[in-house]
Amino acid sequence: MDGRDRSSSKTLQPPAAAYLELISSLASPKSFLFRHPPRSTPPNPKPTPPSTMDKQQPSSFQQLEKLGEGTYATVFKGRNRQTGELVALKEIHLDSEEGTPSTAIREISLMKELKHESIVSLYDVIHTENKLMLVFEYMDKDLKKYMDTRGDRGQLDQATIKSFMHQLLKGIAFCHENRVLHRDLKPQNLLINKKGQLKLGDFGLARAFGIPVNTFSNEVVTLWYRAPDVLLGSRTYNTSIDIWSAGCIMAELYTGRPLFPGTTNEDQLMKIFRLMGTPSERSWPGISQLPEYKPNFHVYATQDLGIILPQIDPLGLDLLNRMLQLRPEMRVSAHDALQHPWFHDLPQLQAQLQQQMAAAYGGMVPPQQAY
Amino acid sequence: MAYQKRPTSSYQPCDTFFVESYDEFPAPRMDPKEHAKLMARERQYAMAEQLSKVTSDEFRDDVLAHMLDMDAATLPDVESIDIQTEIQWFMRPYLLDFLIEAHTAFQLLPSTLFLTINLLDRYCSKRVVYKRHYQLVGCAALLIASKYGDKKDRVPTIKELKSMCCSLYDDDMFIQMEWHVLQTLGWTIGHPTVDNFLQMAVMDCAYDAEVEHLALYISEISLFHREFVSKPSSDLARASLALARCILNRTQPRHTEWASQYDSMTLVGLSQQLHQPSQVLSRKYSSAHYSRVSKVLEQFLARQASIASYTPPSPQTEVVQPEPKPYEGEIGLATPQKATQSSAMAHGYITPPITPENEVFANGGNPTFAKGAAASACSPSPTPPNMQYVSSHTYTQETTYPQQFLQPQMSFSTGY
Repeated sequence: MDGRDRSSSKTLQPPAAAYLELISSLASPKSFLFRHPPRSTPPNPKPTPPSTMDKQQPSSFQQLEKLGEGTYATVFKGRNRQTGELVALKEIHLDSEEGTPSTAIREISLMKELKHESIVSLYDVIHTENKLMLVFEYMDKDLKKYMDTRGDRGQLDQATIKSFMHQLLKGIAFCHENRVLHRDLKPQNLLINKKGQLKLGDFGLARAFGIPVNTFSNEVVTLWYRAPDVLLGSRTYNTSIDIWSAGCIMAELYTGRPLFPGTTNEDQLMKIFRLMGTPSERSWPGISQLPEYKPNFHVYATQDLGIILPQIDPLGLDLLNRMLQLRPEMRVSAHDALQHPWFHDLPQLQAQLQQQMAAAYGGMVPPQQAY
Repeated sequence: MAYQKRPTSSYQPCDTFFVESYDEFPAPRMDPKEHAKLMARERQYAMAEQLSKVTSDEFRDDVLAHMLDMDAATLPDVESIDIQTEIQWFMRPYLLDFLIEAHTAFQLLPSTLFLTINLLDRYCSKRVVYKRHYQLVGCAALLIASKYGDKKDRVPTIKELKSMCCSLYDDDMFIQMEWHVLQTLGWTIGHPTVDNFLQMAVMDCAYDAEVEHLALYISEISLFHREFVSKPSSDLARASLALARCILNRTQPRHTEWASQYDSMTLVGLSQQLHQPSQVLSRKYSSAHYSRVSKVLEQFLARQASIASYTPPSPQTEVVQPEPKPYEGEIGLATPQKATQSSAMAHGYITPPITPENEVFANGGNPTFAKGAAASACSPSPTPPNMQYVSSHTYTQETTYPQQFLQPQMSFSTGY
């Protein structure tokens, strides 16, 4: 044993000695590359094409009014000084303690992967002394504001609803195909422009999922749009949580009011059960294993969603029911939802809609956005 | 005991940081509350499995296509790293050992380790790195990787990283290096890791912890070798899995899907690197948590070495075949000890290295056995055709038996 050890340490010696030398050089003077600007590092081993991100300065954009404020960022309207193009500038304050926030790392790297017409584009990332500025495609307002200003007490017309839902599901499907969960879908995070396009924004809570799914935090999604399995404490949710949110949003498009406006986790569950029926081990095998499951949940019978949504047509109701399944594995996927017969008459409706849209954007209210 | 004496961390004077936590890692304390929690988690995993089956059936092809694209887009360029002026390949294992220990100490996701090394190598493919900053780049990569994938409360703080580096760098340097890495890589962090591909490849098979852990171990061994730096993660994952199955004597899945296709050259390459894994790594994988696969692998290699001593050397034909058998031969051939043994073989075969399991010894009580046993005692074990039993006369005397066979077969001693 000893003999073997000695021989192995002997073989290790040359690199170890070299490394000790390395250590001594590490510990020695603190002249450090960052005392100089990073670009003064020796030339690249292989010349790399200069990133567009390096070139842009915050001064390239004229900062206009504030559009909104999030938990970790502030969004301003901006104008590209060179092209005059409008943009949205999301400013992230850098926590000097812990460096770049994980939300920013995830948001930026995921949005760079997700280039799609139904997902808001990230043009640029600019870094200054103490903040990070993300330059996004400009959108006029978020869906919440849009409903407040546009619809009849928040309710939208059939054609708009169908068009928005189609775009929403297209965006979700694209995220899921690219193994990204949005995890925070709500009207405030869906952005609308003058062309009637709807795009997914704010990927601050998004993350890449593996196949098979891994365990995630269950502190995701604004309460009102949070899926029952997540509310029950499941940490192994998957793409179906985005579909639940989409279902809630669809109902809200019809009524102008949130479908399940709960105040606490428990209240949220009760609001859902009151409408969708209280699940049991029979209707949802395994439910009793979830951490937040209580055997004494008040038992509600399943209600017909059509009663609270009188405006909805039978096909639309069918789709909504497929999205609002309590059991995650029963929920329709975004891809399948897009094939639903409810969308078959969309092309005709869209032509109609274009004219309406052009007419509707007369007087604009200062938009508020979530990026 | 032995490992504490070993100078594993000459580059890292404050090694007390890791040692304690390492030992406790595999054995969870089992108070009832914790146990209930564990059981609930197990049940949740079962449910999750079902749930993820639904997801994966739908998205698998799309997700796989996207992962393969990203894999190709995020490969380090090994030739650029070659021309680094200060950092050298021999330094890499030291940094990797450090990062593996840090990764284990913080209990980060398996994926995070692969992502860390990917970020490190990609940065080194694009920027000249001073050797005094090599460890700093590694730490920044670890920080970014864990922020990307791990839960918030697991992400190491800069203070922790700083103390791991024995305050060689200030807080500021970590933050600036983190930024510089992000900037250099254009914020493209979503590299699909070997672990991601492994999970995907095994999802259709029944869960086999040993195979998965060994495959993971093999892929982590590959991180240490230059030849795999620019290999796509998907190739490494499938080759590691196939190699793990071979070593553990599991059947390879027949179907011709993505998951079961592997590059035989990668596999042979991997099989040649198994002999002297990093001690930090083999220690990590010797825990029950990882099915003690590093021990399993060691035993396998030892067995191979001894089997090889009476395998007729016929390397050429075996290397090219992609099937399980070939690289077993390959492994045997790669061991230095084996070569010396086979050269000894030509002169005579004195003591069989393996316990004989033949019929003759099975009925050990048989009194007639002792007489004619000598010749037949040796024959059942596969012997090279070119080997002459010149020395077999020496066996004819009964006195030679105890010496050779008594130790392995204790019950046999009654016969004497």
